[in-house]
Amino acid sequence: MKSALALAGFALALGVPATLSNPTPAHAQFRLDAGRLLDTARSVTQATTEIDEKQEVQLGQQWAAMLVGAAPLLQNASLQRYVSTVGRWLASHSERPDLNWQFGVLDSENINAFATPGGYIFVTKGLAARMRSEAELAGVLAHEIAHVVKKHHLKAIQKGAWSQVGANVASEVLAQRSRDPTAAAAGQKLISGMKEIMLRGLDKADEYEADRMGVVIAARAGYDPFGLPAVLQLLNTMSAQDSGLQLLFETHPPPGERLDALERATGTRLDRYASQPQVADRYARTLGGR
Amino acid sequence: MRAVLGASLFFLSCGLAWAQAGYTIREVEMKREPFDDAATVAKLAEKTPIEITRRQGAWMEVKSGQAAGWIRMLSVRMGAAGEARSGSSGLGALFNIGRTGSSGATVTTGVRGLDKEQIRNAKPDLAELQKMQGYAASRQDAERFAAGEPRLASQRVEYLRPPKAPAAGPHDPFQQGGTQ
Repeated sequence: MKSALALAGFALALGVPATLSNPTPAHAQFRLDAGRLLDTARSVTQATTEIDEKQEVQLGQQWAAMLVGAAPLLQNASLQRYVSTVGRWLASHSERPDLNWQFGVLDSENINAFATPGGYIFVTKGLAARMRSEAELAGVLAHEIAHVVKKHHLKAIQKGAWSQVGANVASEVLAQRSRDPTAAAAGQKLISGMKEIMLRGLDKADEYEADRMGVVIAARAGYDPFGLPAVLQLLNTMSAQDSGLQLLFETHPPPGERLDALERATGTRLDRYASQPQVADRYARTLGGR
Repeated sequence: MRAVLGASLFFLSCGLAWAQAGYTIREVEMKREPFDDAATVAKLAEKTPIEITRRQGAWMEVKSGQAAGWIRMLSVRMGAAGEARSGSSGLGALFNIGRTGSSGATVTTGVRGLDKEQIRNAKPDLAELQKMQGYAASRQDAERFAAGEPRLASQRVEYLRPPKAPAAGPHDPFQQGGTQ
């Protein structure tokens, strides 16, 4: 309740419209607030401080902005809208249903999917094009949703991948609480910390956890939960040398091991949901059509 | 446009009938129907090559020699046993779906992307991120979508517990070769 209130307050302050289908033109929405970013940087990098949802969303915005800076959104409104809707439906079945979830397809041939703190989720065009059903898409999005629900990225930051950066940022904050120059420097450090985590990947145990949660979130949302394992089987046939897969393979356990772990955790427990829809034709239609 | 159509047809056919090569990762029972209590048609040894026709939920319909039936998908890996990850994916030529909106111009890729080097050099693009908000679906949008066809019915499902003691499973490489 408190976090929902905080989010509402945040949305109000930034001028996010109540109806999300009516996008705001105001650039003010994403304006960098120097002081706040410094505060966020400081609390995020102190393992003892619990960062609140407002800070998490702000951090996530920077992270997501960096990602779309690396690869822009695919210019296909109907596909973007479709992925957003599937994603939002899944997220409603997570433990953070009221987060300002956003989903996008990145215009990149690489095969990968990403989450940032605060509920920004991305899948690449390369991965979208290889999947064969909405249930597979749902499995991948649900895996990413699980990372956000469990705040795995914040954990990675606080575990020290970033401690030096954090110390630097914190000392700058304390030294001079001034305007842009410091904020720009802090912003740079934050961004490089985010990049570091993207290149190194999350804790392997967190990837396995996201797999276990992903199949369940898909089942809760009414999908055949075996979409995610089907994607892992597909990845398992591909070469780690495939340049489009390099980052995914370097930052995740091998797909075969993820399948083994999922099998041991699942057993027959999800069988009763296995006849839920896969929705292959709507997926193919939306992916191919305009 | 034709490329777009071609790609969609390809993926459509992929979704409906695959006929892909695969192999078993352990000894499995092949069932007449996709249920545990269905009659057992055959027993397949570990690393038996199979031809996968389709997936239905937790099961895959497969052929192996003269035998045909269903085995659990998580007991299957795609590709040929022993060389599952050789070669490239072979799908590289299919990527023609990235055309930009009304102008119809083709996106020039290669400048930006998600390789490691490109992530290292990425600069935040807040304007691009703002576009994403325009595509966002509300919770109500999602509910309407799920109430459509096919209907996606919400379920209460508990999360799975982490499996106990990884590694030394039935397919531990050090236990291979032992007859039973």
